[in-house]
Amino acid sequence: MKRTILAITSLFFTVTNGIAQEVAFEEYDLENGLHVILHQDNSAPVVTTSVMYHVGSKDENPERTGFAHFFEHLLFEGTKNIERGEWFNIVSSNGGSNNANTTTDRTYYYETFPSNNLKLGLWMESERMLHPVINQIGVDTQNEVVKEEKRQRVDNSPYGGLIYGTAVQPHLFKNHPYRWSVIGSMEHLDAASLDEFIAFNNKYYVPNNAVLVVAGDIDIDETKQLIKGYFGAVPKGEPIIRNFPKEQPITQEIKVTEYDSNIQIPALALCYRTPAMTEKDAYVLNMISTYLSDGKTSKLYKKMVDENKSALQVFAFNRAQEDYSMYNIFALPLGDKPLSLLETEIDEEITKLQTELISQKDYQKLQNKLENDFVNSNSSIQGIANSLARNYMLYDDTNLINTEIEIYRSVTREDIRNVAKKYLNKNQRLKLEYLPESAK
Amino acid sequence: MKIKIVSIIAFLFCVVLTQAQIDRSKQPEPGPTPKINLGQPETFQLNNGLTVMIVENHKLPRVSVSLSIDNAPIYEGNKAGVSSLTGSVLGSGTKNMSKDAFNERIDYLGASINYGSNGASASCLSKYFEEILGLMADGALNPVFPQEEFEKQREQLLTGLKSQEKDVAAISNRVKNALAYGKEHPYGEFITEETVNNVTLNDIKNFYSQYFAPEKAYLVIVGDVDSKQTKKLVKKNFSIWNKAKAPQVSYSAPNNLQYTQINFVDMPNAVQSEIKVVNNIDLKMSDPDYFNALMANHILGGSFGSYLNMNLREEHGFTYGARSSVNTDKYGAGLFQASAKVRNAVTDSSVVEFMKEINRIRTEDVKEETLQNAKAKYLGNFVMALENPSTVARYALNIKTQNLPEDFYETYLQKINAVTVADVKNAANKYFLYDNARIVIVGKGSDVIDGLENTKLNGKSTVIKYYDKFAKEVEKPEFKKTVPEGLTANNVVEKYLKAIGGVDKLKMVKSIYKTAEAEMQGMSINMEVKTTPNNQMAVDIKMMGNSLNKQVVNGDKGYTVVQGQRKEMSEEDLKSSKLTATTFPELKYINNSDISLNGIENVDGQDAYALKVSDKLTSFYSIESGLKVKDLISTKQNGQDFSSSIYYNNYKEVDGIKFPYTMSQTFGPQKMDFEVKEIKINEGVSDADFN
Repeated sequence: MKRTILAITSLFFTVTNGIAQEVAFEEYDLENGLHVILHQDNSAPVVTTSVMYHVGSKDENPERTGFAHFFEHLLFEGTKNIERGEWFNIVSSNGGSNNANTTTDRTYYYETFPSNNLKLGLWMESERMLHPVINQIGVDTQNEVVKEEKRQRVDNSPYGGLIYGTAVQPHLFKNHPYRWSVIGSMEHLDAASLDEFIAFNNKYYVPNNAVLVVAGDIDIDETKQLIKGYFGAVPKGEPIIRNFPKEQPITQEIKVTEYDSNIQIPALALCYRTPAMTEKDAYVLNMISTYLSDGKTSKLYKKMVDENKSALQVFAFNRAQEDYSMYNIFALPLGDKPLSLLETEIDEEITKLQTELISQKDYQKLQNKLENDFVNSNSSIQGIANSLARNYMLYDDTNLINTEIEIYRSVTREDIRNVAKKYLNKNQRLKLEYLPESAK
Repeated sequence: MKIKIVSIIAFLFCVVLTQAQIDRSKQPEPGPTPKINLGQPETFQLNNGLTVMIVENHKLPRVSVSLSIDNAPIYEGNKAGVSSLTGSVLGSGTKNMSKDAFNERIDYLGASINYGSNGASASCLSKYFEEILGLMADGALNPVFPQEEFEKQREQLLTGLKSQEKDVAAISNRVKNALAYGKEHPYGEFITEETVNNVTLNDIKNFYSQYFAPEKAYLVIVGDVDSKQTKKLVKKNFSIWNKAKAPQVSYSAPNNLQYTQINFVDMPNAVQSEIKVVNNIDLKMSDPDYFNALMANHILGGSFGSYLNMNLREEHGFTYGARSSVNTDKYGAGLFQASAKVRNAVTDSSVVEFMKEINRIRTEDVKEETLQNAKAKYLGNFVMALENPSTVARYALNIKTQNLPEDFYETYLQKINAVTVADVKNAANKYFLYDNARIVIVGKGSDVIDGLENTKLNGKSTVIKYYDKFAKEVEKPEFKKTVPEGLTANNVVEKYLKAIGGVDKLKMVKSIYKTAEAEMQGMSINMEVKTTPNNQMAVDIKMMGNSLNKQVVNGDKGYTVVQGQRKEMSEEDLKSSKLTATTFPELKYINNSDISLNGIENVDGQDAYALKVSDKLTSFYSIESGLKVKDLISTKQNGQDFSSSIYYNNYKEVDGIKFPYTMSQTFGPQKMDFEVKEIKINEGVSDADFN
């Protein structure tokens, strides 16, 4: 009875079939090589100013791991015109918020202000790029803070080794600098001298290795003038040449056990080395993640958590990176179920993916979910700024923000089967048993 | 949807943006404060009591829906977990649809619907809104409670509980709430394996029928919808909800402590201590000093640049972040909390700094500039929050549920702006208690407790009470330290030898002559010790010039003279003197497999490795300095075990070798402090001394 009521009321509705509005932007280069992207949206009085630098943990000297992330901390210490300790006060006393983050591939800084403070955001980021103060006091203070961050996030936190990759990356990579995690080694940081930090800054924190995004309630012409004024004088740096060692294919399952003193329930991690984020196959792997573990009727959730009651949680996700990605499937057993059972159940589903085509209905479900994700991905100015910067820097295609959905639409059921066959084989993976310390 | 244009009175210094030459040596001034459009949702009520709010926003083709029931807090007692389980079983199908069909349809539309014990939420693209709203209502109002699903959810909850057993953060929260509110209060009780096992399927059915009632329920719809059509849809879907009101029980507000104290929970796996300084507060959003408290908290610990974070993170590097918060509660059970995760070694120092900053904001006026900055942050947050269309709905919901005046948000910035320096101080004194604070610390006792016991606040030692992981008070636990993996007895010996001068230097010593003096009941006691590396030792203890006790060892012979009576040493005593009758016994410990490392013990406030040298002797070496700090000697007399200790302190160098200049010997309650008078190396000793 209820269904018929719904059918009738739907007549009143004019259904909008369009998807998210297109994100309009303008992009150009300054003479010093700084790439600029502007996005105007005057619907709310908010502006985000952000800079992404093309430097991440993979650019580190293997004897100085953790440098890129450490640097992210250091560059809040102050500049020639911003006194030490004042950065955060300036932002908050002007009603803004700010933060930064570091990955294996890039470092990202941003401020979001009410739109009457556009100039302030530009000033701060240009100060950081032009003349940050890098001195021993700052290095010493941030050294302690970074150690606390590691203790808090990794050492004192359940499953920290899985979440932050410290228990995964060294096993999945042997040559490429992805073999160490972003947080890096505290011994390396202790051993680093001030000169090394300054050299790192001079090499990577240069306009020709960065992209500036200004998004929100702005006037394009005025903003261009301001950008020229603030960033035009930053000197160009040397070109950066990247030539990272390649990985040999994994041909035999790598079996490893790691321990965590903060957990009581073990976890199984199956991790595969997969292609670069820009490859179409990386998109296909994202779809496979959705198929396997996004939503109550996704294959692994339904089977392991809902029906068989063997798992407390299971999730599959592709950690997309510039040179190689990492495809991870994590599962926590329910009650006393053995990890071997979880492995068998996961393998069954992967084998199905490799041998059968997913159903038409499941394929449509995937497309619907991706459309939903796509609409939601551009819902805040801050989020749009981040996407624009990332798409330019790591994908070399700023307009991906509007066209990504088309890539997903072009993926066929056959593509899904073929990608599963190509990358998700037992002999190509790391099998990690992540156990409580007490199991030692 | 009505939109009111509210012009906000800007209190910032406003300058018109100009295109002048850029002067980067000066911080740019802000432009005029943006105009704020504070909309209001379309609001109406159904006959059953459900209040509905609709905010139209067509920027993106999506809709979010939330249903929340504003019930008073519920005490679940020995069935704690019943509300949580009710929430997790809800959504397992409806009277009209099987669980699989229900979930399949939601996923197929790329949407999500979630249920909890106090409501539900959904989000979807606007083209599927009608169907999703129908499904959400069906799941909430026509639920089924399958036994199988209940059992599965219960097992998941139990496994989830188990997963927290070693989670320092989770335990810190549990204990903090239990102690601050008491376990008999809805905010203080917690779920345990036992209470979860007490819950039956019937309990969750009852819970649902009692508490899932429309009278205090709010349905908020935000996004790309048409208000008029949505109103009709809501009526169709939610009118079947029977008018009812959930029981409202009130609880007495918890009391604050009589005096500031530390409540400690030992977690041997912790590498950081979780510190939470808390006190109960009665603060409601509708209180006249609500804004004063917001400002005071913001300055104390509400932001990166706050007193707490600038001190503990930026000045001292103790933590990744220190913050504070004031939780308002319309039932009077609010909480003030200042917290940080700090490394073990600085736990006690952090407590001191926390209390210092709390005291500072209570006693010192905040700078006018600091207060202006805090106000500006709130202005900015207020402006920027409007980017999200759900903000308008949240404000309208707060006005209804928190008993706020209708113009609460329209006058929000004016009220922030009216807060004075004196208001901040008053609020700090009222809401941040210094003399009645509860300092909950969860951390590794063996690393941190000594420091905490020596912590003084206001010149007084702080009381420490001990609790287990379930907030039950316990006796002070014995904190066992573990020796770092791979460390051996030999490492300890080597570190000691290096610390006193190094093996090479010690081997050059052919004899040591030492005199020391102690006082006992007004009489002085003198000791003379002579040793050589050739298993020779002579110790003579005299009182007022008369020998009390003399011991001589010379190779495989030895004797004692006690008050004139000479006695030959037994085979056994001679055997053990092989190790000890020498200049530096530790030279003989090198690579000696009979000597074992027996753990870590605390000696006079410092941690020391315990080295078992023989059944009769255990020696302790400071972890920090490597120096020997104590000998524990066990002897048998007349078939009874006696033990005495010698403590070594006050090391001084003689010819480049460190010797303890104070040796305190204890036998039972008696104690004698020997102060060294003279040490001579390679002089004053001859073979004749050992005859």
